Amino acid sequence: MTVPLLQTREVSKHYQMGATKVVALDRVSVAVGEGEFVALLGTSGSGKSTLLNLIGGLDRPNEGEVLFDGRSLAPFTKREMARYRRHSVGMIFQNFNLITTMTAAENVELALAFGGLAGREREQRAGELLERVGLGARAGHRPSELSGGEQQRVAIARALANRPRVLLADEPTGNLDSTRARELLSLLREMVADDRLTVLLVTHDRDLAAKFADRTIQMRDGKVVSDE
Amino acid sequence: MKFLDVLRLALRNLREARLRAGLTTLGVIVGVSMIVTMMSFGLGLQRNAVQRFRDLDLFNEITVSGRDLIGLVSSAMGDNGGGERREGRGRRGNRPDANDPSRKVPERMLTEAALKEIAGLPGVASVEPNIDLTTYVRANKRALLRQVGGALVPNGATRFKTYLAGRMISSPQADEAVVDESFLRSFGFAKAEDAVGQTLELLAPAGAAGAERSGEGAEKGANTKDEASAKDVTRAQDEASAKDEASAKDDAGAEDGAGVASEAGRGVGDEEGLSFFGLPLEEESAGEDPVAGALAARTFRIVGVLKTEVEGSPQGGRQFRGMMPVSSIYIPLPAARVWSDRYRNSISEVAFRLARESGVLKDDETEGYGMAVVRVTDPDVLPDVQRRLNELGFNSFSIVDQLKELRTVFLILNSALGLLGGISLLVASFGIANTMIMSILERTREIGIMKAIGAEDREIKLIFFVEAGLIGLMGGVFGALAAWAIDAVANRLAYRFILQPRGVSYVDFFALPPYLWLGAILFAVAVAILAALYPAARAARIDPVKALRHD
Repeated sequence: MTVPLLQTREVSKHYQMGATKVVALDRVSVAVGEGEFVALLGTSGSGKSTLLNLIGGLDRPNEGEVLFDGRSLAPFTKREMARYRRHSVGMIFQNFNLITTMTAAENVELALAFGGLAGREREQRAGELLERVGLGARAGHRPSELSGGEQQRVAIARALANRPRVLLADEPTGNLDSTRARELLSLLREMVADDRLTVLLVTHDRDLAAKFADRTIQMRDGKVVSDE
Repeated sequence: MKFLDVLRLALRNLREARLRAGLTTLGVIVGVSMIVTMMSFGLGLQRNAVQRFRDLDLFNEITVSGRDLIGLVSSAMGDNGGGERREGRGRRGNRPDANDPSRKVPERMLTEAALKEIAGLPGVASVEPNIDLTTYVRANKRALLRQVGGALVPNGATRFKTYLAGRMISSPQADEAVVDESFLRSFGFAKAEDAVGQTLELLAPAGAAGAERSGEGAEKGANTKDEASAKDVTRAQDEASAKDEASAKDDAGAEDGAGVASEAGRGVGDEEGLSFFGLPLEEESAGEDPVAGALAARTFRIVGVLKTEVEGSPQGGRQFRGMMPVSSIYIPLPAARVWSDRYRNSISEVAFRLARESGVLKDDETEGYGMAVVRVTDPDVLPDVQRRLNELGFNSFSIVDQLKELRTVFLILNSALGLLGGISLLVASFGIANTMIMSILERTREIGIMKAIGAEDREIKLIFFVEAGLIGLMGGVFGALAAWAIDAVANRLAYRFILQPRGVSYVDFFALPPYLWLGAILFAVAVAILAALYPAARAARIDPVKALRHD
């Protein structure tokens, strides 16, 4: 059996909320192969976003380990973790998290700048990425001038700027109407098919998950309850 | 991330919060302009004070003295000095003040050879031995007792820089003289221009010269030609008073003058000889000469009138310039030397012969100069030169210690002024820190986003440092410009309302050297970055998970 691209081994995460200890993740083990489109399903508070943050390198587990391409993230320094976020995974969020004072192109270029790309090359690559998500004509607009669907496409372009192999999507359709949601997931589906992108989609919409994902992992109270 | 990208990001952030960044920068501008204005005022005071002393040649001259004739004789005759300082010579080691160079008795004589040695020291620009004669001087049909100084030609001293009319003596062999403003008054010249081109005569009894001629000739024969003697002022004055009654008003001994002239010329330098005293004397003396034979004279043409009195100066009088005693008439040094050798007064003549007789002065030696002024190339090398002079066995005196003291005083003053200005920059630095913290609070999400897409902590920090640095740089540049403007306005106001009404010419009160404003700008940048230390660290610590939580 080949090594899965993403893997968690018995990861736990808990927070201290005043006097009480909140367990967000309880010994979760999942694996995602390269080119897979996996949906992570669960109600709010089920720990799915926490799991995504651990895989995305934004947070570290209290126990267990996260592996990317067979390598554990546990020994990474803060700097190595930043590089991991920059080059290995891309993330998109429910509220898009675009920098509102920058245009679509500038948002994408910022990610490219952190990746070390400069000048003409950077502009060109940002143009290509926006073209890829169907926003070639809207590159000069600020987020406030774009619709929700368009903003999320900019976020996708930005997430894929430094050619990561994985896209981590945290409720990307949460702020979109069902038509826009379908369009967006179709785009991701297409990228998985064409570019062998691996997508881990966190959602609470069972229908969408069933329609677009190859596999659905269901979570409840910090535990995986089904994986099929 | 490239530094250029960081810079652009920082500039964008500042533009986004234009008002806040502008106000913060204004604080820095005030701070920097305070520092620069204060310090430029202090430095201006210092520059003006030091310049004033420098203009007067007070910080680049050392007087050096050697063992004089009377000192030689008293050592030879076993005179312990009767309380005079020179009794310590020979057993300096026993005396408590033995190490004090100013109290020490000089070991060496200031001979021509010694002067050459001194001139060869590193940092020495010129050495000018002091000869001044007090004698009767005749010009414009008046004869008055005047002090006449020998001047090195060419001469770098500032006292020979400004002329009301004419110029400096053209060569050491020229029969030329320069006079000062007081000369004009006492000899009845209405304007400086009237005096230029006129002649003046130094007068001496013809008999004295005749009587000494043979003795002097022998002496000169034995001497090397560059050895000569000088008298100090008191002796010259004795001589003058002794000859008081011989001061017939308007007569010149033509024949004797010529005789003295040729004799003197031969004594000093064979090369010039008769050409020394040529036409003017002959012509002038041709017709009118009732007391011919009674007076010897030497004629000099007045070529320049020095401007020595400063208008509006509170003292009103002659300005003190350099370490050399001031005279109202200057003639070339060789001519002064010849004159002073020829008309040595009786007391020093006795001392000279006693010294020869006792053997402390060998037959081929003459006594040295009493004093010389050593001019250095730069005030900074003066202490070094002075130390070497003392090592060579001469006594020396300078007021460089006062320069040092002056510098210390100004260092304290400038530090105090800089500190006052620094306080306002300190206040501005709080403003910078405040602004940065505010902007972190505002931009928490943005920082989280940047971290999520791969920004390293140090990149986040760098963005904040560059933002603060830009505020410091802008504040520094505009603060320096503001200080320059304040200086200019203050100067104009001071001139218009303080100096001009009193008839004083324009003075620049401020010094704004490049190191001051460049230093202030760099300092502002450094302070700004320092103020951003905490905010930047705080920004880098932001937890992206919390920052991106969507509630």
